[in-house]
Amino acid sequence: MNTVKKVFVTSAMAITLAACGGTEQTAEVKDSLVVAQGSDAKTLDPHTTNDSSSSRVAAQIYSQLVETDENMNIIPGLAESWTFVDDRTTDFKLREGVKFHNGEELKASDVKFTLERMIASPTVAHITNAIERVEVLDDYNVRIITTDPFGPLLYHLSHTASSILNEKAVTDGGSDYGQNPIGTGPYKFVNWAAGDRINLKAFGDFYDGKQSIENVTFRNIVEGTNRAIALETGEVDISYDIEPIDKDNIRNKKGLQLVEGEALSNGYFGMNVNKAPFNNQKVRQAVAYAINSQDIIDAVILGAGRASNSPIGPRVFGYNPDAKQYSQNIEKAKQLMVEAGITSPVNTTIWTNDNPVRVQIAQILQAQLREIGINMSIEVVEWGAFLDGTSRGDHDTFILSWTTVTGDADYGMYALFSSDTHGGAGNRSFYSNPRVDELLIQGRTSTDPQVRHAAYNELQALLQEEVPTVSLYNSFQNVGMKDNIANFKLSPAGHHKLKGVKYVEG
Amino acid sequence: MHKFIYKRLILLVPVLLGVSFLVFAIMSFTPGDPAQLILGENAPATAVESLREEMGLNDPFVMRYARFVGNAVTGDMGRSYTTGREVATEIFDRFPNTLILAALGTIIAILIGVPVGILSATRQYSWIDSSSMIMALLGVSMPNFWLGLMLILVFSVTLGWLPSGGFVGWSSLILPALTLGTGSAAIVTRMTRSSMLEVIRQDYIRTARAKGVAENVVINKHALKNALIPVITVVGLQFGYLLGGAVLTETVYSWPGVGRMMVDAIRQKLCSWLPHSAL
Repeated sequence: MNTVKKVFVTSAMAITLAACGGTEQTAEVKDSLVVAQGSDAKTLDPHTTNDSSSSRVAAQIYSQLVETDENMNIIPGLAESWTFVDDRTTDFKLREGVKFHNGEELKASDVKFTLERMIASPTVAHITNAIERVEVLDDYNVRIITTDPFGPLLYHLSHTASSILNEKAVTDGGSDYGQNPIGTGPYKFVNWAAGDRINLKAFGDFYDGKQSIENVTFRNIVEGTNRAIALETGEVDISYDIEPIDKDNIRNKKGLQLVEGEALSNGYFGMNVNKAPFNNQKVRQAVAYAINSQDIIDAVILGAGRASNSPIGPRVFGYNPDAKQYSQNIEKAKQLMVEAGITSPVNTTIWTNDNPVRVQIAQILQAQLREIGINMSIEVVEWGAFLDGTSRGDHDTFILSWTTVTGDADYGMYALFSSDTHGGAGNRSFYSNPRVDELLIQGRTSTDPQVRHAAYNELQALLQEEVPTVSLYNSFQNVGMKDNIANFKLSPAGHHKLKGVKYVEG
Repeated sequence: MHKFIYKRLILLVPVLLGVSFLVFAIMSFTPGDPAQLILGENAPATAVESLREEMGLNDPFVMRYARFVGNAVTGDMGRSYTTGREVATEIFDRFPNTLILAALGTIIAILIGVPVGILSATRQYSWIDSSSMIMALLGVSMPNFWLGLMLILVFSVTLGWLPSGGFVGWSSLILPALTLGTGSAAIVTRMTRSSMLEVIRQDYIRTARAKGVAENVVINKHALKNALIPVITVVGLQFGYLLGGAVLTETVYSWPGVGRMMVDAIRQKLCSWLPHSAL
């Protein structure tokens, strides 16, 4: 009995002790900022991953040659200026005296090393594969030469994957570099409790001045509801991606604020143009007229988006505000079906992965398209199988979204509509049109912004006529935070930079 | 005794081989390409193909499984393709978190289950017995994720006493351990009750009472020791279950344990990786 008693008493003491500890660690310290996001970073080596959770942390540790502001304008980063020598050659002049977190000075050789390492990486090479070679002119001048003229070069160099690394740090770090990153950014890496948190500290020698917030912690809180709760209870200061259902709660709670803005994502309904009846343009137009995307925006994403008239969003370079906006017109849709020669109901399938938002969208589309005689059965497929099947073209129609992470129309449309990218490379509609290919190439290879804009304007008008995909909505993104946090700017790409964020009197 | 231990250890080998083969086969033959999942839907086909080659996914299944077993036997679990970290480090970094949660959950189950079970048995058919059995039924039936959210609502949001998730100190352990322990507590309660009922009807207990031994001594000293034998077996099994079954609790409380990591691995179809954590 004594032994049993001892076990009980010891356990009770352990729990009591457990209850006593810890509370002081959650106490708010004004020089610390705790940010919650929905998954842990995978690695902080920007060349071995391209996921947003890693990029959101990497965005604080690294800087790029050029960067984008909150309106997606290109601004100087590590390069203070650049010159277009010819349509394939761009010279960048680096800032002098920029220090890496390990004390090394930024040199042109680091830029060359970084871009060459990036081109060799299977994960991110597609962002810089237009680059043929990089030449070091001197310590602070570097030349980038592309294989063909490449209009979106600056946007691609502003991507977090194009963060400039220090050659010595990468070489010394070896295969563990991703857990010991060294950059030139405003915060330096301190430590990482895998699956739980990443701690950063303000870098004293940051080229743009030391940050007023000394410590930043990225916490991994998977469930959206828990991220909102952690913000409400004061355990975190900023929560990324508040769920639609929690938005009003955060907005109306004293001491908190919700910042919302347009993202670079676009939700769309794709049709396999190799399969009947979607090989008929009139049927695709009928589908576009049968869909009321506002129903989806109101009922499924609870207002976190707006009806879209293009495969790319308004914040993307090359967006055409005058492209055709479809609005629901069942009579017109039925007439187009008759013109296409379809007079009896058609049975088909719609593929989606098990993402609940997409499943609900599929249900709404199923109901809406039934009205014009298209009966769709919904096939909910596991994500890996979804990507596999839609790459092969097993599907009739599908629901997917695309994020134009570079902020340039080339990234947003080339993969989705080029004849070169059928299947897994992005064009899951298997759509081909020589004029579309021509405009995509023109947009990609011209370095004149006006020429590029004109090409993309025509391209979007054409795609809205041919509708291989129906754009359902441009997504909004949001961040919940305490109302005494100032200077937080949403990055349309979602890789919010905490540079300049500070506390103000609440 | 030694012979018995050796025999069990030898038997462990086919079990481990079987489990790893099954998990490896399921992960290999279900649809979905790990290389595509790692690189994302935007990745060009050439990049996916070169990663497939690098990961050895183009090799025949038998060759891949043999390579996996060979590496596992030599203790080399390789590196994770998504994080670049040693798989062994990833698992062992997180395992203590799961272990501590399971241990505390078990302690809570014992602290609640054994006393309530004794009370219930010694007052059979009383209101205490009925209410504790109803509580036990509720405890077993309540889904962990629901209980977890309710506890967060009460103790974190309304009262503000405890953190709602993550690991910010020892106080972070209380809610997840309570969530995890409740279901087991119900099982321990029922087992203690039935075992206790069986023991207190035996002759030696009647003899002790006839000799005038105080009731609490009869129960605590004579009956409990024997009644605890099956309870300890159940507690042991529950501990094993909690070690592997903490996935939902770890997710609700953003707990950095092995359970959640396994779910992530399944989503990413990391064949080389999942069998290790399953073992």
